[in-house]
This record gives sequence, structure tokens and C-alpha cells, in this order.
Amino acid sequence: MATEHNHEHHEHDHMNIPKYIGIFMILVVGTVLTYFAATIDMDGIFPGANTLVALLIAFTKMTFVMLFFMHVYWSKRLIWLAAVGSFFWLAIMFAYTMQDYVTRADGVFTR
Amino acid sequence: MSAQEATSSIYGGTKLNYITNGSTLKSWLLTKDHKRIAIMYLVTVSMFFMMGGLYASAIRLELLTPASDLLETATYNKVFTQHGILMIFFFLIPSIPAILGNFLIPIMIGAKDLALPRINLLSLYFYWLGGGLTLFALMQGGVDTGWTFYTPYSTTFSNSFVMLVGLGIFINGFSSILTGLNFIVTIHTMRAPGMTWFRLPLFVWAHYAVSLVMVLGTPVVAITILLLAIERLAHVGIFDPSIGGDPILFQHLFWFYSHPAVYIMILPGMGVVSELISNFSRKKIFGYEFIAFSSIAIAVFGFLVWGHHMFVSGQSLYAGLVFSFLTMVVAVPSAIKMFNWTATMYKGSISYDTPMLYAIGFMGLFLIGGLTGLFLGSMGLVVHLTDTYFVVAHFHYVMVGGQVIAYLGGIHYWWPKMTGRMYSEFWGKISAMLVFIGFNLTFFPQFILGYQGMPRRYASYPAEFQVLNIFSTAGASVLGVGLIMPAVYLMHSLVFGKPAGDNPWMHPGLEWRTSSPPPTENFEKMPVVTWEAYEFGEESGLDLEEAKRRESVAV
Amino acid sequence: MSSQYSDKFVYHEPGLQHQFDDMGQQEESVSIGMWMFLVQEIMFFGGLFTAYLVFRSRYPMAFAAGSNHLDAFWGGLNTLVLIVSSLTMALTVYYAQKSKRMMQVVMILLTMFFGAVFLGVKAIEYTSKYNDGLIPVTGLNHKYKEDKTAHHEDAKPCWEVSHEPNAPVHHPPNPSGEFQWADCSLVKYASDKNLLTDAEKIGYYSNGVVDANKFRDKVRIFYFIYFVMTGLHALHMVVGLGLMTWLLWTAWRGYYTAEYYMPVEMSGLYWHFVDIVWIFLFPLLYLLGRHFIH
Repeated sequence: MATEHNHEHHEHDHMNIPKYIGIFMILVVGTVLTYFAATIDMDGIFPGANTLVALLIAFTKMTFVMLFFMHVYWSKRLIWLAAVGSFFWLAIMFAYTMQDYVTRADGVFTR
Repeated sequence: MSAQEATSSIYGGTKLNYITNGSTLKSWLLTKDHKRIAIMYLVTVSMFFMMGGLYASAIRLELLTPASDLLETATYNKVFTQHGILMIFFFLIPSIPAILGNFLIPIMIGAKDLALPRINLLSLYFYWLGGGLTLFALMQGGVDTGWTFYTPYSTTFSNSFVMLVGLGIFINGFSSILTGLNFIVTIHTMRAPGMTWFRLPLFVWAHYAVSLVMVLGTPVVAITILLLAIERLAHVGIFDPSIGGDPILFQHLFWFYSHPAVYIMILPGMGVVSELISNFSRKKIFGYEFIAFSSIAIAVFGFLVWGHHMFVSGQSLYAGLVFSFLTMVVAVPSAIKMFNWTATMYKGSISYDTPMLYAIGFMGLFLIGGLTGLFLGSMGLVVHLTDTYFVVAHFHYVMVGGQVIAYLGGIHYWWPKMTGRMYSEFWGKISAMLVFIGFNLTFFPQFILGYQGMPRRYASYPAEFQVLNIFSTAGASVLGVGLIMPAVYLMHSLVFGKPAGDNPWMHPGLEWRTSSPPPTENFEKMPVVTWEAYEFGEESGLDLEEAKRRESVAV
Repeated sequence: MSSQYSDKFVYHEPGLQHQFDDMGQQEESVSIGMWMFLVQEIMFFGGLFTAYLVFRSRYPMAFAAGSNHLDAFWGGLNTLVLIVSSLTMALTVYYAQKSKRMMQVVMILLTMFFGAVFLGVKAIEYTSKYNDGLIPVTGLNHKYKEDKTAHHEDAKPCWEVSHEPNAPVHHPPNPSGEFQWADCSLVKYASDKNLLTDAEKIGYYSNGVVDANKFRDKVRIFYFIYFVMTGLHALHMVVGLGLMTWLLWTAWRGYYTAEYYMPVEMSGLYWHFVDIVWIFLFPLLYLLGRHFIH
């Protein structure tokens, strides 16, 4: 509200150049990892394992960018809610659309 | 006498208010004042309402006779499409949020302006740009795809100006998104000291819920229109089943927004009705938290039901089941509101001023509209009723019987605050009655027509349906008169109306504690709030003696 | 008495907009506003991801085949370029918070440089697609004239077309600039391993035999999605570069200090968002079929 003083720690108390570069290195490693993981055939584990691995790596990279580059880690709860909530809404759009396609007679995952 | 002095003498005497504070064209077109932006929206929105109404007259005149004699079928397709587009995108969606929301939210929360005034102005510009483009397209020859733009007709076969109208709607979408964004920020950060979340008027809660829907839903229709436009240009065939595309995908993406859009249309109306019912019953609203949370619940659940527009389109039976069940669930929060409004009126001190007449009318008409929505949400019935006049009657009951009536109630209620003038109560009551009677006469026969099987979007129909169609058109004429009358007497009141004073209704809201019209900064001294919402007592600064005196004198 | 009116005298810091009481309120408002904008951007791209999801789950082999013809090297390079630009953007905000004018300007210039590199690489990729007849719109591909002197071998069935990575690229005649696709070897591979979906069993075949044209149509859907998604993303990059230009000018003028740096932070949020979209686009578009290549 108007007259409340913000007592939260800001990221400029915590983030410095070495830490930014550290996060950057994690992102680079993630990119290289996803590139090579894509060449290994994981269909033996279950069909679609490759996609799952790729998405997990992408989610991890996104989380690091959001938390540390976009400073969500030090932001108010409302910002956390906006960041998390929007993905929840994406999930609604994906899930409720796919529930139609998956349950049709020419189902997408049927063989 | 200068222009400034002349307007000053009509509006508020010698003290400057938002109308008299600057009288050049530039001071209006480049304003950052949310109240001026609201008034400019009011003018444009009214224009679009009138244009949509003209299209509606054409439809009703054509449907007087079974043959397609007044309009050719191809022209009729354009007429109902354009009626839908203008009414939905350029009238209903902006109406209450852009006019009443913009004007009142900062005042109701005790702020000087919205959080982002320049974004508010940008929102207005996008509305004008999108509306202008759409009107231009209409003048070039318009669109005939239905406001729903279903593929593959819209992508492959239609020879009308699909892309231009699509572009107009796309740009208009930015207006909606920016307004919603602005409201969310404002309600979070600009509340006056002491104005806690649960002291907010329910009008503000309703607009917070609406803003969530605007921000989360509108971008999806934007991308859908973009895909439609690219497909129309490129002819790749993503919506063409013969090469592996899927027309249902378009419908999924389109209705993902367009269903929540109907909640964008109705939630602000419900917010207005909460204010009207409580204030004109002179009683604290029953179940404040329930109404507040039910607005949020409607906003959230509204995103889970879009498949009920697609039961017979080709989506799977299982998906239909899920969407049907959730459609029943989403009716519950609306029902909660209806119960709470009724309970508010019970043992209240009700005065039947024009705004209250509209509010009570809303309750009855929204009840019918909402219940018939449940008919349409059940999979057995919908097979019979899809694409018939039953659907048309249902959505007109909720959109016109609900939203438009709430909009009129709100305009009348806050007219004295916005303009400093009282309108004529006599003519207000007459036109409220005409709207109610005309509306029912227009649309109730359509339930019967639909049940009997008359299809929608048809210019010609079997002769046995003619009698009910004639009733419907007759009703439309009455409705038309009832809707034109406010335009006349409200404009008349601008010059000849009685000066309203700060609080002509003797109601406790924060907006009634500043002058009518308010000064540019909204309050002479920014308030500190120490009272709960809807307190009809001394604590909220009401002069109870004066209120009693006025009640005994009133009609 | 009911209401008390506050009557505080407000010192207006430079950069404070008139509707706010203090800088804290302004910063909070601007931050929530920017995040709401990003939320709607997420839903905007989300519609395209939905379309991707629907079509990929129907025709996974067509998508894999199309994806394998994208150059993962350029895609991967672009991913790294954007990550570096995100780092320089974060450092721009860091230096703004420390009131260091020159370092801010240097970092903005670096961010813009990497953004431009990204767009340059995209231009290279799109040109190669144009040359290979992979733009899904008829007329927008390179129109190779018919070469009457060339030998025409008997056309192999499309499932025997080899996918040697270093084979010389042969461009068939394409007088009307149509979308070209000749390689449906993945269909045979998937059919042998029983990986085809029901939609694929109908969609790729005519009279029990793999139909090259039908398969080509599905691959064309992949390329449509590819171009729309990366094109929209590139458009957002261009807007981002415009934003950076404004930021460069104002930072050079010394507007941003420890007391007032929100515009830099907010521009940073936008830039990181564009980076995040690419982080998802890269594996989903470029890498999805790599594990089928032997």
C-alpha cells in the first residue's frame, strides 16, 4: 500500500558479478546437456522419454533465469504468484485441449 | 464569457472539476485523467452500441417474414456477423470496465488516479484504432463468417474482409489487456490508508476478477486471430482436415478466450448490481466475502468450461462430459450471488429509483438466462438445441437482460457523480419499464422458437415460425424505444438537469464523499478509511436525519 | 467524526509520477504492471505451443523428420547467444543499481550486439530454408528453373531416400516456389518399430503404401509452426532491440542511478522473458527427432 515500507531484502544485497556468471555457466551447461541428450535414443525407457528429459532441462534453465536473472527469488509473493500462476494457466490450456484429442477414436497415443 | 467560464457556470460553479479543468481539444485527447478517459470511452461505446443496434433492427425487420426478402442471404450473413462483432468486442467487453471502472475505481479506493495513467490513455487509443479499422472494413463490405470466425470457411472460402476485421479485433484486444493490467496494479498498490481488501466495494472486487480474465484470456484470442490471418494468407492448411489439419483446433483456441469473455462481460455487471442492491435497500450487503470470492471463482472456473460451445463440433465424448460437468459447477458462484442479493433486499428499506429498477430487472432476467445456460450445458439437450434460437435467446438474456441492464443501471446511478446533474426520474422509470417489457417480448418467444427447431443465422425460415417472429420484432421496437430514451433524457440533463450535489442518493460509498463532478485529483484531501463497506450509519459520514427526510418526501 | 483526512506534504523525488505518494509505491506498481504484461505474453505464446502440442502428438514422425532438417548447430549457437545476452542484461541492471553509467552503457551495447547476432543467425537459417524449399507457402521458395540438361534418375520411393548428413544437396526444379519434401524414411523406421500413431497410420498412407505427398503435407504443418513460432519470437527480439535503443540513449544521459533504476530492471524482465521462450523453442523445434538418426 501507499505508506508501507518495503522491508524485503533486495537482490543487490545478495547477487554480485561472480554469482551472475555462476548462473550463466549453469545455463550453458544445461544447453550443452540438452543438445547431447537429444542424440541418445531413450525410447527404450518409454516412448517420449527424450521429450521429457528435454522439457525437464528447459524447465530448470527457465527456473534459474526467473529466480536469479529476473530476481523473482527476492520478489513479493504476488510476483511469485504471477510467475507460477501463468504456467498453471498454460497447463489448463494444454490439458483441457489435449483431453479432447487423447480421447478421440483416432487417439493420439493409441497404436 | 470564456469557454472555461461558461462550462464552469454549468458544472460546479467556480471551483475547477475534471470537466472544467482544461477545455482545449488537446487537454482531452492527451489527458492522463482517468475520468476524462472514461467519458471519451462513454461517447465511443455509445456510438458502437447504436451501430450494433442498427444491425439488430435490420435482422429483426428481415425476420418479420419467412422469406429472405428484405435482405439477401449473403447480406444477412454479414448483418448478423457484424451485429455480433460490434456488440461483443466494441460494446459489451469495454462497456462497464472502461467507462464506470475507469471513472470510479480510483475514487472508490481513495486514489488520485489509476496506477498507470499513460497506459490507460494508450488503452483508449488502441480501442479507437481497432474500432476505426473494423468500421473501415465494414464500410468496404464487411465479414460474413459469424462473429466466431469458424474455419475452414473463414480461412478458405469466405470472400469477405476477414483479415481486416481480424486486425481490428486484434488491436482492440490490446485495449482490453492494458485496462485489465492497469486495474490489477491499481487495486494492489493505490488503495488509501485503511482501505483493506475487505473494505473494498464489491464493484472493485468484480473488476479485479474481470481484469484477471482480461489479462489471461485475451492474448489467446489474439494468437488465434493471428493464426487465422496467416492461414488465410498462406493457405498451408492447419485447419484443413484434407491435409491433416484440424478445424476443431481453431475452435479450442477461439473458445478458450471467448468463453471467459462472457465472464468479462457479466462480472462487472454483477459488481454494479451488488452496489445497487445494497445501496437501494439501505442495508449492508449480505455475505460480502461470499460475493467477493464468488467473483474470483467465476473468473477462474470460467476458464475450464469452453468446450460447452463445441459439444456437437467433433470433440470427443469424454471431453464433452468433462466440460458439461464443469459447466454445472461454474453456475454455483453465480447462484451464490443471486441468493446474497435477495437476502440483502430482505427487510431492507427499498426505494424504487431507476437504478434499482434496472438491478431488480437484472436479477430476474439473469436468472432465466443463467438457468437456460444449464439446459444448454447438458449433453442430451444440447444436441437438440445447438444452433437454434434457444441459444440466441439464452445469450441475449444474459448479455442484454444481464449486462446491458446492469450497465444502464450503473450509468443512471453514477450519472449525477460523473456530470453533477440529476436525470429525470420520471422518464428514467418509464424507459426502464419499456426496456424490461420490450426485452422480454423480443427474446422470450425465441426460446420457444428454438425449442421448436428454428435454426439461428438463417434469413429465411418455415412459415410456421412467423407468428413468434412477429412478436419478437414487435418487442424489439419497444426495446429500441426504451434504449433510445435514456440517450435523449440523459443528454437533456447535461444542460437542464438539477444540480446533483455530492451525495444525491445519501449512500455511504467513498465516491459520494467528493464533489459531483469530482475535481481532477478526485479528493480535496486524500481520505483515510476507518469504516467498513456499506455502512449505513454515522460512522460512514451519512447524515441520517437528512436521509430520513428525503425518504419521506420521495415518490 | 467519521473520516480523517491525511494532509501530508509530499516531497516529490525526481522521476516520481504525480499519482504516486512515494517511490516505493511507484516501483511496486511498475513491477506488478510489467509482470502482468509478461503473464499475457506467456498466454500469447501459449496458444502456439498448444497448436504445436496438438499437431506433434498426432504426427510425431512428420515433426521429427522436419525437425531433423533444421540445423541444430545454428539453433544451439543462438541459444548460447541469447543466454549470454541475458547475462549482459542482468549485469546492466546490476550496474544501474550501482549508479555506474559507463558500465551500464557497455552492457547495453553488448546485449544489443548479441541480440543482433541472434537475428543475423535467424536470417542465415531462413535463407537456407528458402533455398531448400522449406517455406510452407507456395511462391515463397526459391524458384529453381527446370534444368533440361541434367540427368534424371528414376525417382526412388520416398522411404528409401537417404539422409546422409554430408550428401550433396540436389535442388529439384521448382518453378512455382512450392514447399518441397522428399524424405519419408522415418515413416518406414517408425512403422517397423510400431511407433506410428493411429492418425499417422491413416495420414501418411494411400492404398496401404506410404504416400509422399501426404507425408509432405504433414511436414509442411511442422514448418508452418516453426516459422510462426520463431518468427513471432524474432519479432519480439526486434521490439526488444528497440527497447534497448531507448535504454541506451537514456542510460548514456545518466538517468539511471541507485535511486531510480526501475526502467532498466523492467526492460531486463522483458529481455529475460524473450530468452525463456527460446529456451523452450530450441529443444521442442530443433532437437525432437535427433534420437532417430543413426
